[in-house]
Formats: sequence, structure tokens, C-alpha cells
Amino acid sequence: MDFKQLESEADKIIGRYEEKRAAMLPLLWLVQEKFGYIPPEGEQWVGERIGVSIAHVREVVSFYTLYHTKPIGKHHIQVCTTLPCLLKGAKRVLAQLEERLGIGAGQTTPDGKVTLSTVECLCACEAAPATQINERYVGPLTPETLNQVLDHVLKTPETHDWLVDSARAELVEARANVRPSTGSGRTEFQPYVSTEGPVLSKRFRSAEGAWFDAYAADGGYQAAKQALTSTPAQVIETVLKSNLRGLGGAGFPTGKKWGFIPKDNPKPKFLVVNADEGEPGTFKDRYILERDPHALIEGMIIAAYAIGSHKAYIYIRGEYVRPAQRFAKAMEEARGKGWIGKNIQGSGFDLEIVIHRGAGAYICGEETALLTSLEGGKGFPKLKPPFPAISGLFKCPTIVNNVETLACVPPIIRNGPEWFAKLGTAKQGGTRLFSLCGHVVRPGLYEAPVAVTLKDLIFDSRYAGGVRAGKKLKAVIPGGISAKILTAEEINVAMDFDSLMAAGTMAGSAGVIVMDETTCIVQALWSASHFFKDESCGQCSPCREGTGWVFKIMDRILKGQGRPHDLDALLSVAGNMEGKTICVFADAAAWPVQSYIQKFRSEFEHHIATGRCELAVRGELVEPRTDRHPSTNSG
Amino acid sequence: MPTLTIDGKQITVDPGTTVIQAAESMGIFVPRYCYHPGLSIAGNCRICLVEIEKAPKLQIACNTPVADGMVVRTNGQKVEQGRQSVLEFLLINHPLDCPVCDQSGECDLQNFYMQYGLYDPRFKEQKVKKTKAVPLGPTVMLDAERCILCSRCVRFTDEITKTGELGIFNRGDQSEIGLYPGKELNNKYSGNVVDVCPVGALTDRDFRFKARVWYLSSSPSVCNGCSQGCNIDIHYVTDRPHLAGGARVMRVKPRYNAEVNQWWICDEGRYGYHFIDQGRLRKVTHRGVETTWEKALMELAGALGRVKEENRQGQIGVIPSAQLTTEELFLIRKLFVDSLGISQCDARVPEKPGTSDDFLIKADKNPNTAGAVSAGLAGSSFDTPAVRPEPFGKLRAGFVEGRRPATQDERCTAAQIIDRCLAGQINVLWVFGHDLVKLFGEQTVKKLSQELELFVFQGSNENGSSRYAHWVLPSAVYAEKDGAFTNCHGLAQKFTKAFEPLKDSRADSQILTELFERLAAVGPEQAVHPSTGPAPDLIGGSG
Repeated sequence: MDFKQLESEADKIIGRYEEKRAAMLPLLWLVQEKFGYIPPEGEQWVGERIGVSIAHVREVVSFYTLYHTKPIGKHHIQVCTTLPCLLKGAKRVLAQLEERLGIGAGQTTPDGKVTLSTVECLCACEAAPATQINERYVGPLTPETLNQVLDHVLKTPETHDWLVDSARAELVEARANVRPSTGSGRTEFQPYVSTEGPVLSKRFRSAEGAWFDAYAADGGYQAAKQALTSTPAQVIETVLKSNLRGLGGAGFPTGKKWGFIPKDNPKPKFLVVNADEGEPGTFKDRYILERDPHALIEGMIIAAYAIGSHKAYIYIRGEYVRPAQRFAKAMEEARGKGWIGKNIQGSGFDLEIVIHRGAGAYICGEETALLTSLEGGKGFPKLKPPFPAISGLFKCPTIVNNVETLACVPPIIRNGPEWFAKLGTAKQGGTRLFSLCGHVVRPGLYEAPVAVTLKDLIFDSRYAGGVRAGKKLKAVIPGGISAKILTAEEINVAMDFDSLMAAGTMAGSAGVIVMDETTCIVQALWSASHFFKDESCGQCSPCREGTGWVFKIMDRILKGQGRPHDLDALLSVAGNMEGKTICVFADAAAWPVQSYIQKFRSEFEHHIATGRCELAVRGELVEPRTDRHPSTNSG
Repeated sequence: MPTLTIDGKQITVDPGTTVIQAAESMGIFVPRYCYHPGLSIAGNCRICLVEIEKAPKLQIACNTPVADGMVVRTNGQKVEQGRQSVLEFLLINHPLDCPVCDQSGECDLQNFYMQYGLYDPRFKEQKVKKTKAVPLGPTVMLDAERCILCSRCVRFTDEITKTGELGIFNRGDQSEIGLYPGKELNNKYSGNVVDVCPVGALTDRDFRFKARVWYLSSSPSVCNGCSQGCNIDIHYVTDRPHLAGGARVMRVKPRYNAEVNQWWICDEGRYGYHFIDQGRLRKVTHRGVETTWEKALMELAGALGRVKEENRQGQIGVIPSAQLTTEELFLIRKLFVDSLGISQCDARVPEKPGTSDDFLIKADKNPNTAGAVSAGLAGSSFDTPAVRPEPFGKLRAGFVEGRRPATQDERCTAAQIIDRCLAGQINVLWVFGHDLVKLFGEQTVKKLSQELELFVFQGSNENGSSRYAHWVLPSAVYAEKDGAFTNCHGLAQKFTKAFEPLKDSRADSQILTELFERLAAVGPEQAVHPSTGPAPDLIGGSG
């Protein structure tokens, strides 16, 4: 195997980082792009290039699901089997694929053409049931469209990428619904997406994205210009006044966070953008990256200026290929127009931006795990103290902000903090992008004031338009799969951080998963626990062991082998996981267990007593296969 | 300096101290698996949870820096419940195969379960299956099912040896310690991963299944493998001859010494103990015929006594060994040099320097070259190696030079003594420990055996010298005697006898003392009692 041809590219990659080791993930990507998988020689080469032992390279390769140590099929079909897709028929999709391909999940067809696997949430929940075929998201998959896709996959010569024909196949990514488009007479697929703003969705209209000229014409980069002529302290003050809070899920006041950067620390400061969107039920950041990337870039310029950073990293989840490409394109535009690089617009302020791709690990959305991953390690959350603002990326002061949070910043500067604050509550300003998925009429992405009620989001015709025909609402997860579940009676609640906390759940990432009466809550919890078991990084013992334990009990109950004490055991194990680990993943894994059982106990008891599910006959939510991802596990 | 309260007692500590360190300094033990004072903080096992006033959640003591006014509780219901649940998590996938586990009896899963666990098990599921009994290399065996993934071993190979062989692969409950496929754990300090492993995941292939640890006795000692003088504990069994073929020493473990070896020892030192029970000289022999100490000492005293006083200096050669204790070396000096007036007495032999590194392993494979120098038996300074900067901070400096007797001929090394033997100038040769065949070749030693009037070998193990010497006097090994070694940094370290000398062997000091009592009886007026004269210059010590 010849790695010489990769050397110059490797040098370029390594040169982007302050420490060589940080080039681990991109170099592994480079090898995998070249060879289709990561052979031992590739691990050796990467290790030598960055001065890391091969054992540590293998640690990383085996941690992330997107790296393969063995060749896989030319077409890799990854079926999302996390709750939002399960609710919409992921099991049917998988069965259809298995039947048509003659292989099970985790296997490759004998001709080496197709590899089939099941994966955790792709964050394409508006297009559920969704799959990822090689780099492309495809969904929603009806039996017919799935057959169309397979026709193309199977008939396409190996040298030809069927995706270039995707227009002919009338398959458009994130096809959440079908609307007749005006005039053309052709059927065009568009997901339901807010396009009216006022803060985040104004330029979401075109699926092709809003580029520099359109962004500039809409007042883009005015805020950055304004910020660069004021002081960093003034920018922070403005953001503080706006009551902008972290929209990745934690809800921490953004201005306050920026203020934590020590003024007297001589080390370089870093801005890191968390674009590792992974919370099941959430897909907002993907839209910003794809449709309005300049809003994010402008937000990054302002944030970097406010915290005194001249280097920003954006960590984009590995599955988000097109979002990363779109963002890269926007970066090139911005660079060409003098908004990235040295002496931005003659202000004397420099900013470099580096795109860093993830490789398949939900935990990397946790800000310190993201930093460890960015530094070239497994996505292990870091011990606190020290906190990232003091010692984060490369042990330097670091601010990690979510994509949506930063995209809010330019409008705040442009329209003033009072304008933004007024959109929200006394403690949380602005609007949010709410991801609506599951059993609603119109799954999609809706911008609404932060205090919109959950009821309105589900039932209002401006938003998801109600529960699907003829069915009654049963339960809602309001803030991504980690949030505690709410019953149909509990939806009259505002969606801001504080109101939902008061309601005993959380706003989280604003991913709203709606379940109608056909949903078996036991299976829903089985699915959630499967997700947390698969995604636990394995660092802290309560989480590593607890997530596996919970899943095993749930699996047994679902198989009709539940025991009378199982529910008490589940609650106790969940309680023991809470508050004892480095990060809050274990807490997030515990909350569904506690809330689903608390609110739907009789359903669990019935399952255990009878060994079967009354709803399984009617509902679509049935357990998927538990096969592991192919060829990523080391010996 | 912050003052905090732990379990109701106040303490003032340096800023930057962690809660676990502060507690330890007060004698309060906080349980730990991943925390090891010699390694970076991992914070993953979560067993060291403590309650800190005003903190909503339990905090890990290992990573929580102290703060002024902090109030810490290392016990109480909340802490005890937290610990218990962490233990339960650690044990659900553990195979609980204590009856066949070498770690049993010194396992922190067992220990902490008895102290902090004692719950009724309620895990009713299938345990995760992982690899078992995997040799990681020549010294270490892995049982991945017993592993609690504390990462101490990974941090050891990353931070101490910087060899990076070990990793934790996969994630979640599939996480598993291991090596890159096809690689092995074979560095000069591999055995330490067994020590740092708090459970039975990494066991010592050398010790595996030799003895249950509760049969072991322990004696503090100093490694004799090189001039670093790492502090060790000798683990031995003397009352179970059915174990390990009757060997007494079962294993050697490092003993913490901040200035010498911290928590570590090299594999050469760790596994170099077998000579204590194997290949030993058990009987006094004269030309291959077994005899008694009584006869041997009488005859040897007589033979020495017959050498005329004016001839002693030229006709007798003595080659002491830097493997001997400082006390023994001073005794040799007093008896042979000061009392008998022998000048051809030198421990410097033409040994090739051994392997060395910039950590613990020194090229000089003798534990007491400095002792030999201070006794005036090895020239004026260390020949090898140059004293390196101490890795562990300040040393107790103060090795005193210039105590050498004026009679010492500095140019007279062992090689010159042998040359003079071959030239017929020396006809009485007394060798301590050295294998002359290895040093000078079989032909030379054969010739010595034929031409010398008296050729005495006093040593603990069979070797080339014992094959050719006229007289073989079996002596004790370091584990069988009290004494001190002075290491290459000039630190004198005392150690004590672990057990009695094997069979007929005797401590060198006893052999020499008795020899000279007899020598005095047969006449030489210069003979002095061993307890008078210059004393070993012991500086400090940690035994």
C-alpha cells in the first residue's frame, strides 16, 4: 500500500492544528477515503505521522462507528433505528432491505456491492424512516421509494455513483413531505421548514442554500462589521442583554459563558463550534449548515472577536457530509470576500476557521468530549475542573458554542439585544428552531418564540399540524431523547428552558418526538436504552455498566421474560447512575427510564405480567435487530 | 494555604492538593481504583465519591482540589450509598471467579466489597463475554472480563514507559483493554502493570498459580540487580515446601521510595530473584569433596597463616564483590587489607557495562559499587556509570570519598590480580561471588586451578569459579542477611534478612569473622577483631 501519495495532503492537514495528534481523525478519514477502509498499514502510517502509538490509533478507530477496519460494500446502507425512525417504520425498512438484499444487518452482499447496517440516530428525523447510503441521506422511505433506491443501487455499475442520478430518481434528501411545486408541473419534494424568521429561518427557503450575495443582500455581515468596530466587552454585554442561551441543550447564558474567558491568560483562545448534532429527534443545525451557513460564519466572527480568539474550529458530525461541504463552500466565499483570514475587513482582527469532521459518536456532542475528540482522542468527556473556558482545547481557554446559538448572534447585534430579548421570556430571549418528528402530520423544522407551547407546536397549523389522522396523542419527548417524557395531558407547557424544567423535563435541543396512541412505551424505552447503551463512551463505570444493565432488563421484558422486580431494579439502577459520572450522559440515560416508568407504569406491568404487548399488533414500533456495525470492532 | 475540614477534623494543606491527598495525609483512606499517585488523574472509576458541603452532587476526591473552608465527608449515608452503587456497577460484569484468580486475597474488588459493598446481588442478566487468559507478553497475562477499565495500566505504558502498548478498544460496555493485534507488551518495566492493576485483570505470569497470596510473608529489601538500589519487598514462603518446587521466594514487588524508585521496578529486577533458590551452593567442598565448615575454616586459616608476613602483600590476591553488603566489604577490608596487610584486594572486574536507560536501569549491575569504593576496595570513584541527574528530586547527597587506606594500590584491579596469578607472583587467590570463567575465560581459570597453591571461592551460587576453585564456601544471598547497599547516587540503604541462609550456606560476615578468629588463634599478630577499625559510612537509608 502506497501512502507516499497521501503525504503532502497529510502535511497540510497536520499543519492546520496546534498539536499533531489533533490530525488523528482527519488522517484516518484520508486513509479511509483512499482505500475504502483503514488497513493496519494505515493505522501504522497515521500513528507515525502524528507520533501516537498504533494501539492508540486503534483505540480511536474502534471507538467511532464510521471507521472500518475491513473493506465494506461499495454501497453502504445505514438504516437508522433510533426512536424517531422506529416510530415511522424503520423496522419495515430494515426487513425490506434484508429481504431484497438477502443479507442481515452487519453483513455485505456476496458480490461485495452492498453492506447493510443499523445505526443510531442520523438526525434526519423529519425524513423518517431514513437511511444514509454512502454519504447521502435518503428518506422518508416508503416501500416504493425504497425499491426505487435499491433499483438504482443494484443496477448501477460499480464505477458509477448512482447518487448523481438522484434527481432522475426523484430522491431528495430529507424529503419530509410532498408538495406540488408551482408552475413546473413536476413533483418536487420539500420538507416542512419555517422560512419566515424572525431570527434563524429567514433564508431557509431554498434547499440549495443561501450563498454570500443573498446573505449580504439580506443585511448579512453588517453585524460583524458593527461588532468589529466596538470592543469585545461591548459585544459580550450586548449578547448578555439579549438573554441568548445555549441552544445545544444546556441553556447556559451565552454572554456569561463568553465572559469566563480569562483576560490575562497569554495562551491563544479558541472558539469551537459544536456541529456534532446527534440528539435523537433533532435536526436544526443541519439546516443552518446547509441553508444559511453564512449566518453561522458571521456568528463565529463575532464570537471569536468577543472572546479574543483568532482560531475557530467547527466540529461537524461525520455523517453530515453535505452540510460540511456546504459550510466549506461558504467559508471559501467568506474568505474570498475578506471575512476569514488576516485583518478582516481592515479591522486588524484575524480569524482562521478549520472544519473538523467527527466519525460517529453521539458523546462528542458533549462539549468536553468534543474537545478530546478534536485533540485526536476517543470522545471521552474531560474531568472538570478545569473548565474549558480556563483550560479547554490544547489546554487553552476555549468556548464551545452550538451552531444555532452562534447563528442567533448576528441578528442580535444587528437588531439590538432588546429586540431579541423581547421575542422570548424574561430569562430566555429569542426564538428557537424546533425539530418536530414522530407521529405528527407535518414533521419538520419550525422556528417559534422560545415560549411557544408544546401543544401549539404539535397541533397548530403553523407548525406540525396535529397528530396523524385519526390517532390520539399519547406522549411527547420535548427536548431530544434525553428529556423526560410528557403525557398527552402535560403538553400545555411553554418550551423555554425554565418552563420545561419546572415541568420536570427539559428543553434540551428542542427535538420534539411525538408518539400517538399506537406507540408501545415499553418499546420506546427499549429503543432509548438501546441508544444509550450503544453511545456510552465507556469511561465512567456507572454509565458504562448501567446503560448495558438497563438495556438488558428492557430487552428481557420486551422478549416476554420480565420479572416482577424488574421495574424496581430499573428505577434503582437509573437512580444510581445519576449524578455520579464525569458528564451528564448517564443522567440523560437515566431520565427516560425514570419518567417512562413513572408515567406509564401500568403498561410496563402489563408487559411483565403477560409477556406480550397489546399494541405491537397495531403499532409500528417493533424492536430492530441488534447487530453491531460492520467491521469496526477490533479484536 | 487552604484549611479544610474532612470528617470533622481540620487540616491545612498546600494549594493544589486534592481532597484524596489531603484525606490521606490525615490517615483517612478514601477507596480508589483508577487513582494512582504515580499516574495522571483519570477520574473514571467513581469509587472515591465524597460529599462536599454546598456541592449538589457527590464529588470524586481524586480530582477535586481543596479550597479554603471546604467541608468534606468521606462517610455518611450519601457517600456510602454512592460507593456501594459504584461497586455494584463494577461487579455486574465481573466474573466473580475469585477461587481461580491469582489476585484473590489482595484484590480491591474483594476488599472494598467487604468494606463498602455487602449488598445482595441483583444482576440477573448475561454478563458481557470478553477474552480470558491472554498472554500480553512474556510477563503479563490478561483476563479482560475481570478488568474494571480503570486505565491505570494504559496510563503506565503512556506516562511512565512511554511505550504506549496498551489501549482500551471499542466503547460502552464493550470496552476492552488490550494490545494492538499482533503486538506484545514487552518493555523493560512491563511487570509494573500487574502491580498497578487493582483487580485480577493483569496477573504476573511468573507468579501465576504458584501460591495463594495469603501464604506469603513479606520482607522489605533492596534490589541487588543494579546500582539503582530499588526498594523492594520480597514475598516468600518457608513453610510450604510443596509450592513452586520448594522455592522460598515467590515474587518480588516494588516498595515505594520517593527518592529511588517511587512505585516501580524494572522487570530485570523483578524477575531476577530465581537465583535465591536455584543453582545455590549448599555444601562446603574441598576439591569437589564435601566437608564441614569447621574443617574448612581451620585449614584455610592455617594456609593463610603459613604465608610469611613479608610475602602476604605480594602472594595473596583477593577479589571482593560489589554484590556484598557495605558491612561485609568493610570487614574484608579490615581483615584482608588492614589486618593481613594484603594490598592486592580489589572488587573491580572487567565486566561489560549492562543495559541502562534514563529511568531506573543502571549499567552497573552491582548494587553496591559505591559501598566497595567507600570500603576502599574499588578505586576512588564509580567506573560506571556516570552519576546521572536524579529523576526524583533531591537526593541525600554526601557520599564521602577519601576514606581509602593509603595502602591501596589503585591500579591493582581484578584483572591485574589474575595476571599476577598467571605470572606466578600470586599463589593464594580468594574470590567472592564472581564468575571468573565468564570474566577471564575457561582456560585461564583452569590454569589458575592448576597453578595456584590455594584457590578459594566464597559465593552463593554455582558458577565457573565454583567449578574450578579448590575450596568452595557457600555464602548467603542478600535476602538471607542484614546489611546495606549504597546506590549509584550515594544513598546507603539498609535491608534486613528475609529468611535463613539455605542449607549450609552462611552469611559472608560470619564466614570471615570465624575465619579470622581462627587465624588469630594460629598466630598473625596483626589480626584484629572485626568490630574495631574503620566503620562503614552509612548515609541515611530507608530499610
